[in-house]
Amino acid sequence: MRLLLGIALLAALAGRADAYPQFQLSRDATCTGCHVAPDGGGILNENGTNTSEQIAWKGGDGEFMYGLDRPSWLQLGGDVRGASGFIQNGASNVALYPMQAEVAANATAHGFSLHLVGGLRRPQSGGSAVHVLWSREHYAMWQQNPEKNEGLYVRVGRMMPTYGLRLAEHVVYTQRYGGRPLYAETYAASVSYVNPSVEVHASAFIKDPIGSPVEQGNGAALYAEKRLGEHAAIGVEGKYSSGDEVHRTFAGVTGKLYLPGPDVMLLAEAELIRQKIVVGAGDTATQLAGYVLASKPLSAGLMLDGGIGHYTQDTRVKGLTRDCVDVNLHWFMTAHVEMLFTGRIELLDLGSGTNGGYALAQIHYRL
Amino acid sequence: MRKRSFAYFLIPLLAACGTTPDERPPTLEVVALSILAPSCGQVQCHSSSTNLEGYAFDTLDGSRTALRKLVGVGGTNPNNELIEVLTADGDKRMPADTPMDEKDIALIEAWIADGAPGL
Repeated sequence: MRLLLGIALLAALAGRADAYPQFQLSRDATCTGCHVAPDGGGILNENGTNTSEQIAWKGGDGEFMYGLDRPSWLQLGGDVRGASGFIQNGASNVALYPMQAEVAANATAHGFSLHLVGGLRRPQSGGSAVHVLWSREHYAMWQQNPEKNEGLYVRVGRMMPTYGLRLAEHVVYTQRYGGRPLYAETYAASVSYVNPSVEVHASAFIKDPIGSPVEQGNGAALYAEKRLGEHAAIGVEGKYSSGDEVHRTFAGVTGKLYLPGPDVMLLAEAELIRQKIVVGAGDTATQLAGYVLASKPLSAGLMLDGGIGHYTQDTRVKGLTRDCVDVNLHWFMTAHVEMLFTGRIELLDLGSGTNGGYALAQIHYRL
Repeated sequence: MRKRSFAYFLIPLLAACGTTPDERPPTLEVVALSILAPSCGQVQCHSSSTNLEGYAFDTLDGSRTALRKLVGVGGTNPNNELIEVLTADGDKRMPADTPMDEKDIALIEAWIADGAPGL
């Protein structure tokens, strides 16, 4: 019974395959070094495919479906993920659930491309099929220098407005509470400029008018990052979202530092969030979210992450905080298969409240 | 001079950490949009898109509908299912992925004790 409840109820940790910014400065200077999209995530380009082969324990052919014949103008991808383990939410529960089943396609010609990510998501209780089979991303893109993977990128369509660190794990506080929760894609017009020394992403977005949107406001997002030498970068981020019920303003900074000696990548993000309820009696709250991640590749396709997170839910309330320590062990078994062992200890009010955490094993198969 | 600069930095930081037990107004809007939406209304849980168990907490209207069932208009439901699941010991406990802060539960209880205004 507990297992069944775990299956039914614990999909809150469902996710999507995303970029690993851990590789950004340690393996390549920009997201576009490995990904088709200017802000990373999703379909890999040729260098990304080669990297997936090089870092894996038993590399193999990293191409889509192990080298399936396809025209050169078409890039394909896809991800299947599932997880199982234990979750402590004040009580201990077993969790077993699917996380992701998506395919992706990118058709390119003369600098223009059409990009589509489609798949399955949790059905609505008593709802329609549109909520089961859906497209998380679909956009048209123009790229100034398709051969160099740098320069201007202009996108129009459904996408996540580019903002802050784009870590793969959406349970990271700066993702979940910091303006990038799961499935918060919007319809947006986005302009990105990417080169080895600087990248800027600006987006104007509206909430999804068709489905039930996660991002319920219209607004804009900005992220700018400057490289400092070969192994460091700093960034600033801002987002404003105006909904019918809540207006939210996010502002923050990011930092990235690669230490070549120990081969450790450090990533950090801090955000100030202003949440204004604009219905009924209203209310305004200030929140803080921060995360620091240290990541080190090990031998045999292993990569170890250690993270520390903080979230202040409302600065007016003493002790309304949560802090976490995360440990993730990624095992890139082949260019297509990743096992992830992830654990979290979460302390509410610095341990004086009910505490939480999880220990999960996740398998990720990239098509 | 260095001490003064440090004080300029430290004082707002300490102020930001909160000094009083709970200044939040116990209103439906705060309960729904500040507490239940981020905790229970995530897309894969009790959201408008999944409507799990018939509840959606990601909007004010969705929360109002759910809370009418769970705590009753005026907070009169004798079996207060909301507090029950938030404090349950076993597999009924919610939220499923992470504990709800006891201060949030206390604010919800205060709102219910006040007659659950707004439902």
